Amino acid sequence: MEPRESDLDPRQIDMEIDRGERPNRALTITRRTFINKAILAGTAAGAASVGWFPTINTIDLAFGQQAAFKFAWLSDTHLYPKSVNTRFVEKTVRAVQEIKAMSPPADFLIFGGDLAQLGDPVELALGADILKELTIKKVFIPGEHDWYLDLGAKWEQTFGKSPWTFDHKGVRFIGLNTVGQVPDYWSAKKMTPKERMGHMATLDGSVAGPWAGVGEPQRRWLDQTVSNWPKSQPVVVFTHTPLYEYYPPWNFWTRDWREVNEILKPFSNVTNIHGHTHQVLYNEVGKMRSIGMLATSWPWPYAPEGVPALTKAMIRADPGDHFDGVGWSRLSVAAGKVENEYVMFGRKAVFADAEVDSGTGDNGNQILSPRIADRMYPY
Amino acid sequence: MNAKRRLLIALAASVVGLLFVVLGTGRLLAPPTALAHKEKHTLDQLNAFQEVFMEQVKIGDLLFHGDGATEKRMNVTLSKTGMACAMCHPFASDTHPHEFPKFQEQINKFSTLRDMINWCIEKPNEGVKIDPDSDAMKALEVYIYWSNRGSRLATGTH
Repeated sequence: MEPRESDLDPRQIDMEIDRGERPNRALTITRRTFINKAILAGTAAGAASVGWFPTINTIDLAFGQQAAFKFAWLSDTHLYPKSVNTRFVEKTVRAVQEIKAMSPPADFLIFGGDLAQLGDPVELALGADILKELTIKKVFIPGEHDWYLDLGAKWEQTFGKSPWTFDHKGVRFIGLNTVGQVPDYWSAKKMTPKERMGHMATLDGSVAGPWAGVGEPQRRWLDQTVSNWPKSQPVVVFTHTPLYEYYPPWNFWTRDWREVNEILKPFSNVTNIHGHTHQVLYNEVGKMRSIGMLATSWPWPYAPEGVPALTKAMIRADPGDHFDGVGWSRLSVAAGKVENEYVMFGRKAVFADAEVDSGTGDNGNQILSPRIADRMYPY
Repeated sequence: MNAKRRLLIALAASVVGLLFVVLGTGRLLAPPTALAHKEKHTLDQLNAFQEVFMEQVKIGDLLFHGDGATEKRMNVTLSKTGMACAMCHPFASDTHPHEFPKFQEQINKFSTLRDMINWCIEKPNEGVKIDPDSDAMKALEVYIYWSNRGSRLATGTH
């Protein structure tokens, strides 16, 4: 006998209806719901007589209802040494103070990469020093700006290795490294570490190529990591670059995003949260939602070929105010759903209603031109 | 006609002929001047124009991406924050050269692209404004235009 719709977990039905999907009628009654129904049936007579029935929710008791919680995302601080530039320091300090002031405190901070601008140990130490103010749990994933001076040595020594995973209040959190698997573009040209880092640090550069990727060993790790996780339980994957193809010339993508999405496909509640793009972004790939985070340093323009259709674009930044168009994010998880709140410095309105405010309709017919000066010898 | 007259005519003709030869040769040996469609352009000439153009685009590319050596050579300081134009404008995107001249709200006056370039150098980049007619300004301008070629002219658009 096929289970009736009422036999299914009501929260799962809600989540699936939100996604425009019909509940899967092939789902059989689970042991959990059988036990719950048995308890309800058994106690119904007694409970009904004392009016307890409406107050018993054994599904919640059996499942162990997870309390809602908040966490904070901070990324793309692009710190220069203080002797060069203090504006990025000021903005990072402001974000840290605002995160510290969260009440109740955030359960943890995820730092999403690009702490340093040129991977300099001085920059990484400066970042570590600023973040020391936050005494909540902190987890880190690297950005390309952190990695390519010494191929991640100082980063891992200071902030730990990735990928990693932890479970927190019913959510499996995963941090992937999408920047450390760049095909070698420096050895044949005998580049110095600074030259290597310089090319990686240039978003519109032509030398480092389409570098963003997870790579096969990390994909195997991911597959194994999620293999024992219930398919309807929330999974949140933190990456520096988006887990889909937005704009490859600026590495606003992860080159093996299809393979990563195949691994995550069986899961009905996956959220990818990423940095690198320095702008408000939203996309969905199958059942995976992908939310782009702000930088604290500066905003990037939207890609010349347009934004994902699902993105509600931000009002473009005022170039005269370097505190504008940047910030951090306050994320909350309640009943398994991840909600994001952009905390844009000094701004009341984040989202644009018209193209004239977002700049996304600026010009669609230009001939896109990768730069030429960095492809001419000497590099 | 007596012999003397014939000799004078021959001499005059020779001088005129010699003048034609000298002037004609001079024109051939002189570097190409701006013929401005008096004569058809050869492929070599068009390639030469393109080479000069792309050389300026390359210089503009270097300045736009904060190349210190090029800034020093051209005696300009485009930024004192360590930042470069390309950091907010990869591929010179979001520069909208096809919209200028227009009222530019950040400058609070009717502005050309060069006005905007100088505003960006001075304000967000905390650099030193450059001479609007300088080689550096023309190079920056040409890199921005080259990166946005194909754009539909939409002057006055915000």
